[in-house]
Amino acid sequence: MMEPLQPLQQFLPQVWFFILGLFLFLYVLLDGFDLGVGILSLTASTEERRSILMTSLGNVWDANETWLILMGGSLFGAFPLAYATILNALYLPAVIMVVGLIFRAVSFEFRENAENKLIWNILFGVGSFVAAIGQGFALGSVFEGIKVDEAGHFAGGIWDWLTWRSVIVALTLVQGYVLIGSTYLILKTTGELQKTYYKTATLATWTTLAGALFITISTPLLSAQARTQLFSAPLVYIFALIPILGLLFVGLLLRSLSRREEVTPLIYTFLIFCCSFIGLGFVIFPNIIPPSVTIYEAAASPSSLVFMLTFIGFLIPIVLSYNIYNYVVFRGKIIDEPEG
Amino acid sequence: MLPMPDLLSDTVVLSRIQFAVTAIFHMLWPVLTTGMAIYLVVIEGLWLKTRNLDYYHHARFWSKLYVLNFGIGVASGLPMAFQFGLNWAPFSEAVGNFFGTVLGFEGTMAFMLEASFLGIMLFGWDRVPPVIHWISTILVAFGANLSTFWILSANSWLQTPAGGIFVDGKFIVQDYFRAIANPFMVNSFLHMFFATLETSLFVIGGISAWFIINQRHAEFYTRSLKVVLAMAVVIAPLQIFVGHLSAEQVYHYQPAKLAAMEAQWETLPAGQPADWSLIALPNDRAETNIWEIKIPGALSYLLELKPTLDQPVQGLKSWDPQNRPHMVGLIYYSFRTMVAIGLFLAGLMAVSGVQWLRGRFSPAEIVKQKWLLRAWIFAAPLGYIAVETGWIVRCVGRQPWIVYGELRTADAVSRVPAGEVLFSLMGLTSMYTVFFIAALYFGSRIIRRGPNLALAAPRTFLEPTLVFDPARHEPDRRPAEAQQ
Repeated sequence: MMEPLQPLQQFLPQVWFFILGLFLFLYVLLDGFDLGVGILSLTASTEERRSILMTSLGNVWDANETWLILMGGSLFGAFPLAYATILNALYLPAVIMVVGLIFRAVSFEFRENAENKLIWNILFGVGSFVAAIGQGFALGSVFEGIKVDEAGHFAGGIWDWLTWRSVIVALTLVQGYVLIGSTYLILKTTGELQKTYYKTATLATWTTLAGALFITISTPLLSAQARTQLFSAPLVYIFALIPILGLLFVGLLLRSLSRREEVTPLIYTFLIFCCSFIGLGFVIFPNIIPPSVTIYEAAASPSSLVFMLTFIGFLIPIVLSYNIYNYVVFRGKIIDEPEG
Repeated sequence: MLPMPDLLSDTVVLSRIQFAVTAIFHMLWPVLTTGMAIYLVVIEGLWLKTRNLDYYHHARFWSKLYVLNFGIGVASGLPMAFQFGLNWAPFSEAVGNFFGTVLGFEGTMAFMLEASFLGIMLFGWDRVPPVIHWISTILVAFGANLSTFWILSANSWLQTPAGGIFVDGKFIVQDYFRAIANPFMVNSFLHMFFATLETSLFVIGGISAWFIINQRHAEFYTRSLKVVLAMAVVIAPLQIFVGHLSAEQVYHYQPAKLAAMEAQWETLPAGQPADWSLIALPNDRAETNIWEIKIPGALSYLLELKPTLDQPVQGLKSWDPQNRPHMVGLIYYSFRTMVAIGLFLAGLMAVSGVQWLRGRFSPAEIVKQKWLLRAWIFAAPLGYIAVETGWIVRCVGRQPWIVYGELRTADAVSRVPAGEVLFSLMGLTSMYTVFFIAALYFGSRIIRRGPNLALAAPRTFLEPTLVFDPARHEPDRRPAEAQQ
């Protein structure tokens, strides 16, 4: 261990772990409601309702999906080993997700121009569901851990990602997306349609909660590493705090839904996602390929990390502000009338 | 060439085919959106300057084609980004330090900008003041072309790696700026920048010509044809010039690729005139051209502008077969196709320019220019073919290297079982076929419906004093265009 660079070699991968976490979090949050609205569009009964749902996504879905591309690009640059190994291990879930996202993207554009909009709507909804399931399985295998050899290359089998636990994680993620999608729609719709989504959101809160509870309890039970990681001071206090906060937000969410509030359900859902995400971060850190390859082993050279940080780091606030501007421009409810 | 059953069980071959299929399909869409974005900036600027509603209706009409292309572009780009990790993991690990960084830049700096402001560009007409809308369009165009810059920087680096060294098969960056500004970067970026613009201009011109020849909104589409022509006057000759510079660079940096482009098997010594092969039938196995027509002395002029060569042109046989590109016929004809299209488009531009100067673009005259208009319609898809063939020359000609002279393609492939690659390849191919047909169908539908000339100008344009109160909730209306 030699020494002057030591703090830097620790600090830089940590910063990049945080940035990647931020990108992934923003992706899950923002494309989460896109995917959720897509899944919900399968249950919308009329063409009028479906087009309101699609309109609510029209101006934002491109940008939201871009967070995934940012995440992928940054993972490739900052942790090349992890990019290669994780995608190899998750070959099938990644393919499932990409196929889902592709169908979703093209159906969105084709629907605009099609006479028979229903076909494309169904493809859009199914694509959203498939993409969400693919992501869920990927997340599930992160909990399960990825088998690697000494060099950090994938050493498992092609079906490793499929376990009963990853099935539950995948279903929970779908529930979570439905929850965030319906709270987004509460914000963007009115009248009867909005009432539907109050009901959906309440139901989805309970199903998401059940799945999240299962994951939270089973992770330390089944994984020795998560146990040592989580139940050692000082992390144990933070770890104990996260489920408590999460439950608090779930309570607040249910209350805001029953009071028919419009903005707060989305905010509480964001906070619940935030709690789950911080929890996930604690389970994984300092690994990038759980359970054995750390961010320090997988990191690109310090000069790469510094170079990327100077360019991408200062852009993050700019990117965030113009994304926020986009939402401000398109604030407000959607009404089903042509432009007058 | 391996026999068919061996090909289908070879992970390297299948992964290459899969990447080629993905890249060739993906390229079709951003080529239009990148170039058309600049056209949209021009046309919207003309609207703001002249306040002529025709330009506004042009912006609305073309942006419908724009968004159709954009959606498929995003969708088809995803599998490309993921394939680096899925099918080319050793490559990703070896060059991630640089290549991944650049792809990360592309996402953060360029693509995000384009995707975010696209929302305002498409649906924000009534929601932001006209100038802000125009700035959004400019940012979309800027983002799209910045993407071109980063992607071409990354690809040029594969052609002429610079700025670092390979240690134990891993690229260590020593100088990022040198790596980004590698020898091929400037010309390659300019060549692609002009290519997207030229392709889009001739697509717009071809569609406009179709409307004029069918006497639908002839005057309206003469406007767009004139804007296209005015831009093409600058772009088409510049493209030939930059293309020529790129070929000269290949001559210096990648002599084996140049030899394949020219199907030159034997070395042409310095101090003698070199013939340029016009048409040939190259045979990889016999290492010769079975049949050939040559133009005496032309190659020495093309490469060095001199009657005799200063430097020898190395023939393909001066490399061992495993160190030089194969499929010489493909590279040779792709190159010629691209060049022929570049020349044809420039010629069409010149003839049309002369006709315009002679007053043949007046409303009464232009509908009579049947042959000229037919040539424009014929030219509409040519840009795409030139772009695709150009990329084939660039990337097939780089073989057997993935990073020229440093990393072999065969060593860069993930050891995924061939059956899996075959499965995803077939899946992608059938999906892309469906999307291609659907895109053509919906694209031609947008065109056949024509412009919505009844569309009123945005209210922010009609009432410049309109103040937006951020506290007031503006209901979001479904875009009227989608309702027709």
